[in-house]
Amino acid sequence: MISETVKEEKKLKFGLFLGCNISFNRPDVEQAMRKIFPALGVEIDDLVGQSCCPTWGTVPSIDIVGWCAVAARNLALGEEKGIDLMTACNSCYGSLNEARHKMLKNPEIMSKVNEILAKIGKKYEGKAKCRHVAWVLYKDVGLEKIKESIKYSLDGITVAVQPGCHFLWPSEVYPDKEKDPFNPKVLRELCEALGAEAPYYTKLIDCCGMGALRSTDPEKSFILVREKLECIKEEIDADLIVTTCSSCLIQLDDAQEKLRKEGKINFSIPVLHYVQLLAICMGFDPQQVAGICVTPRDEVIKMILEGGKR
Amino acid sequence: MPKIGVYICHCGENIAGAVNIEEVKKFVEKLPDVVVVRDYLFMCSDPGQEIIKEDIRKGLVDRVVVAACTPRTHEPIFRKACEDAGLNKYYFEMANIRDQCSWAHWHEKEKATEKAKQLIAAAVAKARLLEPLEDRYVELNKNVMVVGGGIAGIFAALDLANAGFKVYLVEKSPSIGGNMAKLDKTFPTNDCSACILTPLMVEVANHPNVELLTYSEVEAVEGTVGNFRVKVRKKQTYVDWEKCTGCGACLNVCPPKARVPDEFNEGLSLRGAIYIPFPQAVPKKAVIDPDACISCSGRWFGEEPRRTKDGKPILAPCEKVCPTGACSRDEPRDPNGELIELNVGSIIVATGYRVMDKKHFKEFAPDSPNVITALQMERLISATGPTEGKLIVPSDIPKYLEWKKKVEKGKEAKLEARKPHVITFVSCVGSRDERFHTYCSKVCCMYMLKQAMLLKEKYPDLDIYIFFIDVRTPGKDFDEYYMRCRKLGIKIIKGKVGGVQRLPDERLLVRGYDADLGKPVELISDIVVLATAIEPNTDLKDLARKLGINVGAEGFLRERHTKLYPVDTMTEGVFICGCAQGPKDIPDSVAQAKAAASSAMSLLAPGKMRVEPLISEVNPEKCTGCGICAPLCPYGAIEYVEVDGKRRAKINEAICKGCGVCTAACPSKAITLHGFTYEQVLAQIKTIARKGVIEEV
Amino acid sequence: MEITEGVPPVINLTEVAEREKEEFEKKVSELIIEFGAENLLACMQCGACASICPLARVGFEWYNKKLIKAILIGMKEELLDDPTPWACVACNRCTEICPRQVAPFEVMFAMRRLMVEEFAIPTLAIEGLRSLYEHGHAVYMTGREARKKVGLPENPPSTDSDEKALQDLRTILKNTKLAELGLIPME
Ligand SMILES: Cc1cc2nc3c(=O)[nH]c(=O)nc-3n(C[C@H](O)[C@H](O)[C@H](O)COP(=O)(O)OP(=O)(O)OC[C@H]3O[C@@H](n4cnc5c(N)ncnc54)[C@H](O)[C@@H]3O)c2cc1C
Ligand code: SF4
Ligand code: SF4
Ligand code: SF4
Ligand code: SF4
Repeated sequence: MISETVKEEKKLKFGLFLGCNISFNRPDVEQAMRKIFPALGVEIDDLVGQSCCPTWGTVPSIDIVGWCAVAARNLALGEEKGIDLMTACNSCYGSLNEARHKMLKNPEIMSKVNEILAKIGKKYEGKAKCRHVAWVLYKDVGLEKIKESIKYSLDGITVAVQPGCHFLWPSEVYPDKEKDPFNPKVLRELCEALGAEAPYYTKLIDCCGMGALRSTDPEKSFILVREKLECIKEEIDADLIVTTCSSCLIQLDDAQEKLRKEGKINFSIPVLHYVQLLAICMGFDPQQVAGICVTPRDEVIKMILEGGKR
Repeated sequence: MPKIGVYICHCGENIAGAVNIEEVKKFVEKLPDVVVVRDYLFMCSDPGQEIIKEDIRKGLVDRVVVAACTPRTHEPIFRKACEDAGLNKYYFEMANIRDQCSWAHWHEKEKATEKAKQLIAAAVAKARLLEPLEDRYVELNKNVMVVGGGIAGIFAALDLANAGFKVYLVEKSPSIGGNMAKLDKTFPTNDCSACILTPLMVEVANHPNVELLTYSEVEAVEGTVGNFRVKVRKKQTYVDWEKCTGCGACLNVCPPKARVPDEFNEGLSLRGAIYIPFPQAVPKKAVIDPDACISCSGRWFGEEPRRTKDGKPILAPCEKVCPTGACSRDEPRDPNGELIELNVGSIIVATGYRVMDKKHFKEFAPDSPNVITALQMERLISATGPTEGKLIVPSDIPKYLEWKKKVEKGKEAKLEARKPHVITFVSCVGSRDERFHTYCSKVCCMYMLKQAMLLKEKYPDLDIYIFFIDVRTPGKDFDEYYMRCRKLGIKIIKGKVGGVQRLPDERLLVRGYDADLGKPVELISDIVVLATAIEPNTDLKDLARKLGINVGAEGFLRERHTKLYPVDTMTEGVFICGCAQGPKDIPDSVAQAKAAASSAMSLLAPGKMRVEPLISEVNPEKCTGCGICAPLCPYGAIEYVEVDGKRRAKINEAICKGCGVCTAACPSKAITLHGFTYEQVLAQIKTIARKGVIEEV
Repeated sequence: MEITEGVPPVINLTEVAEREKEEFEKKVSELIIEFGAENLLACMQCGACASICPLARVGFEWYNKKLIKAILIGMKEELLDDPTPWACVACNRCTEICPRQVAPFEVMFAMRRLMVEEFAIPTLAIEGLRSLYEHGHAVYMTGREARKKVGLPENPPSTDSDEKALQDLRTILKNTKLAELGLIPME
């Protein structure tokens, strides 16, 4: 890469797009973001008045213009302020960017959307986009800054990463792209920056089974999460699963407990969102930034605070 | 005393890995007349050849023995090296110590080394007896005969004619054009077949260097490359082509009894006994089909006409209408036509293919008029077809023709022919099928897509189903063509149709399988199109036999080498192209035709051909004229002549290939095969029999 | 929902095609294209999308490739009660790899949209829509213990705490097809 000349200290600012799951189910993820970003020099805007992205089972299943209109209202909240959105939920990331891609590709959709937005005195020009927190940390904040900012490191700890489908595909619609979406490296490198080992495992890019699949047929959904967990256990015997998606977080954490109860698995691997893990490493209160879970996390958090495994 | 140089090649590890080169060298050095022994990693490489040349130029050696791979591929290389250095190239001998030694005895190194010694010793023994020989040249006839006037034959003829060669284009049917003339439009560009073909037909017919022999067939072929003598039978046309202007006045006068299925329309309509194959025929001349003609006037050609009461001769309708008297029956005509003889230097076979008839496929209701072959579909959608391109179900073609007749006569008439709503295509009918042909016919996937596309574009409401085993559209532009079809909404179903059932209303119940959904499917179709296999013409074997070329197990003409000599045959001077060689599309047929033409050109252009002097010669003093040799010669090179009043064998040097059969058979040892004389071969055998010891001369 | 019994052991293509012509103004494939799967007809049934589809993996019947084929031959009725499209996780791995750029995900979602038109919509989806309209959140919880527990204000800075924004969102929804279809009460 060409080295950049004197990096100007540009103030980073993003609209924090929460989404339903983080707002109500996993607010500890929200709290983690509210802690780490200011500490890393990233300003957060609350994006007051934001709504559901809209998630896949709602307007996207009814019609495309409606989907885009709801998404455009959210995106416009950032556009009005001249900032991009930032999310820690892959579903939001996918829905907002797919919608934006459709509007940019098809002027007809864009103009229909703006006709609707006009009724509430808003407009969307396609400028503001939704960034993923993982990419903001990786690209805008940078691995060096992350390394400098942590108090605790993950020495000797093995993590299994779960970037999640909407972090990768369809690569065409996303503002940031993995070099090889079938062998994603960003989350692995982010974890390595914290001192962890984040090895490859065979089912790294496989779907966790969350979302529509889980609501339509939980039993079938559990087949996938079980396959994934077993692969993690067998191939890399991870101490911890780290994801950058709130949906994957819920599925891996929650379904794991159900599988244990049904006697389908006999192990337990704690699950954290990456922003939670980073917040812990930066020294924030685990109760606030990682206080909600089904599969117990205490041991691994203790391990981290005691300086890793070694 | 000859000075023999022996050059031993390591062939990388190929020889040196099994044969102890040093040991062999020491042995060879002691052989009689050997003055130089050298070895090298690759003798055939430039530096390797240079070693030999250097020794020759310095006068060190005057006989060369190379012990290396095989003379099959490398003898010409080393001969040339000798020649380049100023040595007669027949002072060269090769010992095969790789294919027949190191490779064969890879795990027995000692024995391999021993064998190599003996093989080289034998070669040295022969080299001592070598004689210088001179290359010979035979004159070549520069005319070419092209058999078959389809697109392949036309292109081959045109290329040759443009290059200045005289071409005889021999075509079996009354017109050139072949199967391409029957096609409506052609993939992958969908240009109209007649529009691109007709100008070429005219061009080839009018070319000053082309002599067109239509309605003619090859009867016999004699001679060899450069000098073939061909007998061609011009079939009896029963119409005087000098007079016939192709006006077509006679076409519709034959009575119904004299009407037979029209070949050009693939049997979808009838033609009279007197007919012109199709409107764009070249030459546009009528012929009378003697099997169909019922001799309306009650007389055959040359017979006295019957007369009316008032003594006027009774003429057949055709005679009557013909404005030029071309089909007059006054003169007798030889039913065997005329036999002519051509002398040509090379022959190109471009006799094409035929499609399988639907009658073979009992499971597909072949009796139904609405089950048709794809070639029939081409006729049905063609503007020159039985319905002028109007799409109706084939079972209603008779109704259409009736209607047309009435309208032409100026009568009021209503056409009551049914239009199809559903058309189903069935792939691989007779191809990829152990019961018929195991090969893939190669063009049907594309032409089915083509026909479906043409139909769908013209009639968007048609429901078209294509049942495929798999879609084969390899190469440039073809898969894109397939995509276009899909995007038109043609329903493409993976899975073959296993049965077609006739319904009382002449529609058809099609039973197929959808492999994607894993279920059998059924539908009612107005027309079922069978993509029947492309197969060799029935008379192809016979023609091949006359030409001394081979057909493969599947019945198409066989090329000399699939990869390296794709348009050559085992008979020198005879080339093949187009579908006679195997199923292929027009672009490939044309490419092959041009390849065949240029192969013939590069053969004939020099006007003479070098032949190796390694042929047999009869010593008339020893020959007793016993007559054993001539019948044995596979090339017919031997004849018996009078020498000093006695019968003696004589070998035609232009024909002899040096196979040696006669030499071995002659009880009087009167025949010498140059390069393999008795003395030379015996010296080799004796040397080996004595385990490498060469008998002193 | 039960996996459909709609598809008989032998598929009668003539019936399927005739029904398509008689009963609907548009062909199923045309509707699916209109509903967002623009490249539907390019599908060559290679099966790549099915090889990696989570739905195919766990035993749903009408996963991407098969659904596309059924649509291409004109099936519709038989598919309306099938749950598979509603299970699509929109992972879009299929879109990424399809050699014909069909975007099978779009077909799954277009099928959802077609089903919605025919009112073959699962209750859960209705719930989500109603919640979206009422609260601005498809997933909504009245209990706020979790937020309090981690030290956050009870209400997120969303439509949940901004009445004007909620009204804006409702206005938007009222101007979309959702309102046309009348799937949920909208005041
Ligand atoms: C239904 C159908 C559709 C097709 N559509 C297309 C298409 O769209 N595009 C495309 O590229 N290809 C198409 N093809 C293939 C195309 O027809 C062939 O590639 C092409 O016609 C081959 O030309 P040819 O000259 O080798 O053979 P032919 O066209 O068969 O010509 C051979 C000629 O030799 C004559 N002949 C035969 N035996 C003798 C003999 N013993 N002595 C003298 N003359 C003899 C024949 O009368 C004939 O005139 C199609 C084929 C079929 C069956
Ligand atoms: S005599 Fe003439 S008109 Fe009569 S059948 Fe023969 S060719 Fe036809
Ligand atoms: S080209 Fe196609 S239809 Fe013809 S035999 Fe081959 S695979 Fe079958
Ligand atoms: S990957 Fe694309 S072309 Fe292949 S079956 Fe799926 S949609 Fe069709
Ligand atoms: S997007 Fe839907 S159809 Fe495509 S692979 Fe994922 S679950 Fe299957």
